[in-house]
Amino acid sequence: MSHTGQDTDPAVAPASGPDHEFQTHVADGKLWLQHCKDCDTAIFMPRVLCPSCASLALEWRPASGLGTIYSQATLRPRAKPGAPERPPHSVVLVDLDEGPRMMSHLPGVSPEDIHIGMRVRARIDGDTGSHLVAFFPEESQP
Amino acid sequence: MTSPSPLRGKSAIVGVGTAGLGEAPGFNAMDIQALAVRAALDDAGLSLTDVDGLFCANMSHTFPAISTVEYLGLNPRWIDGTNTGGSSFVAHALSATMALEAGLCDVALICYGATMRSGAGRMVPPAEQPAYEVPHGPRYPMTAYALAAARHMAQFGTTREQLAAVAVAARDWARLNPDAFERDPLSVEEVLASRMVMEPLSLRDCCLLTDGAGAIVMTRADRARDLAHKPAYFLGGGVASYNRAISEMPDLTSTAAKDSGKRAFTMAGLSQGDIDILQLYDAFTINVILFLEDLGFCPKGEGGAFVQDGRIAPGGALPVNTNGGGLSFCHPGMYGVFTLIEATRQLRGAAEARQVDKADTVLCHGNGITLSHQATAIFGSDNAL
Ligand SMILES: [Zn+2]
Repeated sequence: MSHTGQDTDPAVAPASGPDHEFQTHVADGKLWLQHCKDCDTAIFMPRVLCPSCASLALEWRPASGLGTIYSQATLRPRAKPGAPERPPHSVVLVDLDEGPRMMSHLPGVSPEDIHIGMRVRARIDGDTGSHLVAFFPEESQP
Repeated sequence: MTSPSPLRGKSAIVGVGTAGLGEAPGFNAMDIQALAVRAALDDAGLSLTDVDGLFCANMSHTFPAISTVEYLGLNPRWIDGTNTGGSSFVAHALSATMALEAGLCDVALICYGATMRSGAGRMVPPAEQPAYEVPHGPRYPMTAYALAAARHMAQFGTTREQLAAVAVAARDWARLNPDAFERDPLSVEEVLASRMVMEPLSLRDCCLLTDGAGAIVMTRADRARDLAHKPAYFLGGGVASYNRAISEMPDLTSTAAKDSGKRAFTMAGLSQGDIDILQLYDAFTINVILFLEDLGFCPKGEGGAFVQDGRIAPGGALPVNTNGGGLSFCHPGMYGVFTLIEATRQLRGAAEARQVDKADTVLCHGNGITLSHQATAIFGSDNAL
């Protein structure tokens, strides 16, 4: 147990910072979210306290990984003379089934194949210590 | 109605100034800010040695207020460097009123300057960006506003033509303003045909990136009456914020302007029907639609229809952004101070070709970062006191 402060109850203080804990949990390839043990709110971005009730009693739980695209914005890069054309890039906001919203993208999926309301499933990309949550289309649309 | 706020009508804008609008090659942010400050003080008939309260923010300096103190040779009794993004200066009008009324200062200076166009040639974003968004490749601030626009379109059927109507209205006002950066005619068709930058926003849905500086001087109302110009009285103000990152915003179609506006209207003892002119922070066309809705000028979701037939353009029923706004007048990274300057000119009856006939009340609305902070301030002529 690392030292986290003079006045924090050691029974509920986290063992390390929430960004570090997030990276450790998602290393298994699944999306994990913090949940507040006092008010049952699911939390993202990772924090040391619950933004709904200020509780420090947070625990990490595996999430369903399922969500719905809430919005989409697509960068259309300007062609630069002599330079290879850069493909468009969609950034999305995903509403997770557990409640929180996150910014993400769908690697390898054309912007034309992404739309608001579409069901998506999380996948963990990136290297150890800098994992990120990407999404891909969920095959079985409800 | 509740009893009027003790701050209502207690301060006024007595001087306004701009400098380096458009392009100011060879100058830095502090240089053109100083020129705007001199212009505002000359306009008020006051001098730098009278200034004992300073309110400023920017993105180029880590300590904007302190660097400004040094450059201008000020020795202020009260300093407020609250930085909430482009909304800062509208929020400062409320803070300055409090400081004046509390006797913390007698002459309040609110100022801003930036030279992003001739400096970096691009929007220079703040150093700290949301850590869980950055890996996905957003371009700030554009991505955030495109996400809001896409959601508004999906949820309410708002169209690109309706967004374009905002850009066209701004341009029609700018054509009446000799200080505006873009003054060529602009049609809805031209906005729709402009290069798609961040879908659903095209180039003409996005504000300009110019150099520019603006400054205003405020005093208590009793002193304001003895100065050179008709005072632009502060009637009410309010701020609100729920989030920094766009991904943390509860509802992208509904901004904290709902709360900042309500607070400002309550303080002013006014309602929407009492407002003659609006100055809304139009970093992108979607902003104007969102703020018209959230400030209560039309129901939620109906902002697109509200703007589409010239209602906010010259000759329309509700004049919005009479200087041409951030879309066509100028936008040096943070725009808020220019809403206050244009409000003052309209209330004085000094806006020349773009002067609105009935100009006794003006609502200024500032927006900060990526729809992250909202500040509203209402000003009036002596008819509105
Ligand atoms: Zn809680």
